[in-house]
This record gives sequence, structure tokens and C-alpha cells, in this order.
Amino acid sequence: MTAVLPRLLILAAAVMLAGCATRPPASDPAAVRAFQQINDPWEPTNRVMFKIDQGLDAALIRPVAWTYTKVVPQPARNGVTNAIANLRSPITFVNDVLQGEATRALETFWRLIINSTIGLGGLFDVGARVGVPGHTEDFGQTLAVLGAGEGPFLYLPILGPSGVRDGIGLGVDNFGLDPVSWYSYNSHNIQWIQWAYLGAELVDAKSTTMATTDELKKSSIDYYAALRSAYRQYRAKEIRNGAPPPAGSMPSFDDEDGDPFAPEKPQAPR
Amino acid sequence: MNRRRFCLISATALTCPALAFAQEWKSDPSAFVSHFAQVGIVEVLEAKISQKEKAERFRTLFKGLFDIPAIARFVVGRFWRTTPPAEQEKFLKVFEDVIVYTWNRRFSEYNGQTLKVESTAPDGTDGSVVNSRIVGKGSNDSFAVQWRLRNRDDGLRVVDVIIEGVSMAITYRQEYATIISQQGGMPGLISALESRARDLAKEVG
Repeated sequence: MTAVLPRLLILAAAVMLAGCATRPPASDPAAVRAFQQINDPWEPTNRVMFKIDQGLDAALIRPVAWTYTKVVPQPARNGVTNAIANLRSPITFVNDVLQGEATRALETFWRLIINSTIGLGGLFDVGARVGVPGHTEDFGQTLAVLGAGEGPFLYLPILGPSGVRDGIGLGVDNFGLDPVSWYSYNSHNIQWIQWAYLGAELVDAKSTTMATTDELKKSSIDYYAALRSAYRQYRAKEIRNGAPPPAGSMPSFDDEDGDPFAPEKPQAPR
Repeated sequence: MNRRRFCLISATALTCPALAFAQEWKSDPSAFVSHFAQVGIVEVLEAKISQKEKAERFRTLFKGLFDIPAIARFVVGRFWRTTPPAEQEKFLKVFEDVIVYTWNRRFSEYNGQTLKVESTAPDGTDGSVVNSRIVGKGSNDSFAVQWRLRNRDDGLRVVDVIIEGVSMAITYRQEYATIISQQGGMPGLISALESRARDLAKEVG
């Protein structure tokens, strides 16, 4: 039994090595810069994970989510979304505190108290109705606020697009801070609850994001590449807590001079 | 001042504000975005016409108010300069088609949403970014849309639309860079886009 773990690690290392993207030659600096900007050295492995994820999605998660949206009326689905958000709010609270966001931490705290009681265990978002809308934070964002870079891109089956930093964050949030995990760490408690909760989380997330991701899929040729770009931009916005990017940091590209949207200059004859 | 000149001045003073007001949207960033939304809602989204007519009306609006060549050059990035002019033309055409048909698919989902301009800030050397929200009927279905505008000789043009932090231009650029380097360069990208445009056109009918 003890020999299994080292063997698994060797296998994992072999898969990673086999699945490395080819770095462009140093003689093409623009291509090297683009390679670094894409920051996806495990792209071949990630694309395999993406294929597995899309397969699981088509065969299982999407049909379940689709049936759920057709069978369960919108108000009831909103209740489920609210209840899951309420159960996740301790994770948000801890990360608000770790990021030094006192006001946001207090908002999360009072929302948890009010929604769990008057909101009948989180089914109704009373906080939002009295002018305190919810927000989410996660440990990946906390690491970013503390200065950690996003790290190479990772595509996780079922969980979708991520990165090394956000993957670590996901582990800390779900195993360290999630109240449902804490509940199940006590072996006297009912164990299937955490699996039911995980299933509910997946179906809820799918049913609320399906329209947006379908749109991206339809408008893209390489859905994986489009998703990778959109995920990172969306995360950057979440890390800024929704604020517009600071002045001057709107996309400028290091392979362009000046405004990348400038009208075309007449080219010198070559 | 003679009488005739006085008349001319007062006539100009009376008519000019009205003229300036009618044309103001062409140079005022927030009025420009509101104009686009208003025309889009009245003449495309709420118009009682077929999907195909909606697509064509939207194309006219889109071509008039967006700087499509600048966006196309941006999304192709460093590969643009090495692309022969004939291929650049082909790309421009198919890129426009894909965007028109992609937006067109969403028109049937329109359910009375409105656009509210919230603020405007300078962007780049001579541009602006307009921050707005699309507001729906429910309390949860509102989302942030930023419009990046540039001043051109004959008025403002949109160069990018950023929805909830996700820029269309950057997403296309990063996706297309991957396709160009992995799937047969610009010819590969163009033929993939052409077949996608054909599929989307069939949905429009």
C-alpha cells in the first residue's frame, strides 16, 4: 500500500511532462511573449481534461441541470441559489477578513444572521431586499490580494477553468472553510449530506451559468481558448471586487506601440 | 452692426443649439452609447420584423457605430502585418458576419431590458470608456457593460464592449492567437470562421 503513492506521483509527473506545450524558439520574441502571456504550459493535458469535462457535461450535468430548470419553477430555484450562497457565506466572511475588508466582512456577517433566521435558513435573500446585496470571496482572491500571481492555467474536470493559485484556493475553501465539510469531518454525522450538497452546488451553478457559457461556445471557434481568456478576465474583475480597472491599465499590449485601436497608419513600402 | 447681420446672427443662434443637440451624440460619449442602445431597442429589438431583417438592420447600425477595421486588426494582433491585403479583406468580412449573427441570436431573448449610463472616464490618448448597466425586470438580472470609444474624423466609434469584466476584443484576440498558431495560420482561422458564419446564418433563416 505504501508503494502506491510514489508510483502515482511518478505517473502524474510523466503525464505532466508528456503534456507540455512547446515553447516557441527564442529567435521569435513576439511568439515567446505571447506564449508567456497565455501562461498555459500544460495546455495539452488541460485540453484532455477539458474534453473529459465536456463529455461529462453533455452526458450528465447538462441534462440534469436542463431538467431542473424545466421542472422546478424559477422562485424555487432562486431559493436553492440563495440557500447555497448562505451556506457558503462563512467562506466569504473568512476571506473578507483575510483581505482586510472590514465593511464587506460585516455585511457578510449580518447577511448570514438575517438570512439564516428571517430568511428561513437562507431560502430568502432578506439582506438584498433591505439594501445589503451579497458578494462572494474565495481564498484564490485572497492570495491574489496578498500579491500571488495567477500561475499556469489549469482546467479541472467538473470544476472547469482555474489556475494554480485558484486551484489552491478552491482546496482551502472547500476542505478548510466550508461548513458542510466541517460537518462531515465528524464521522458520527450523516455522510451523504456532503455529496448531496456538492451535487446541488454543481446543478445550481450549471443552471445559472448555462446561458452565458453557451453563448461563448457558440461565438467561438476554439471554445477552450475563449473560455481560458474569459475566465481570467472575469477573475481579475472579481479580485478588484467589481471595480473598473485602474486608469491606464486597460489593455495595452506589449507587441503594439501606442493605442492598439489606433487607425491604420499607411505602411512604409517593404 | 447692420440689421442684416443681426438677423443672420440671431437666426444662427436660434437654429444652432437645435442642430448641436441633434448631432451631440456623435461626439458626446455618454449620449453616443445611449443613442446606440435607443436605436437598437426601437429599430431592431422591438421592431415587428423578421429575424433576417433584424440582422440586416443591426448590421447597418453596427457598421456605422463600431470601428470594425480597428477591432479586426486588434483581434488578429501581431499576425495582421504579415497577412496579405486580400486575406485581410476576407477576414474583415467574415469577422463582421460572425459578430452580427452571434448578436442576432440573442435578439429573440429581449425582454424589455434598458441601458443606464453611469459614468464616463478618459481612455487612451483620445478615447473614453463609458460605464453602463443593462437593467432587466428582476432584481438580479442587471449586469455591467463598459464601452471603449475612440474619436474618429466623423465622430465616435466603439472599439470594445466589456461585459462583467470580460472584453470581447481581448477574448477574441486571445482565442484567435491560439487558433492562428495551432490551426494553420490566418487561412485556417478564416476558413473556420467562414464555416461558423454559414452555420449561424442558417439559424437566422
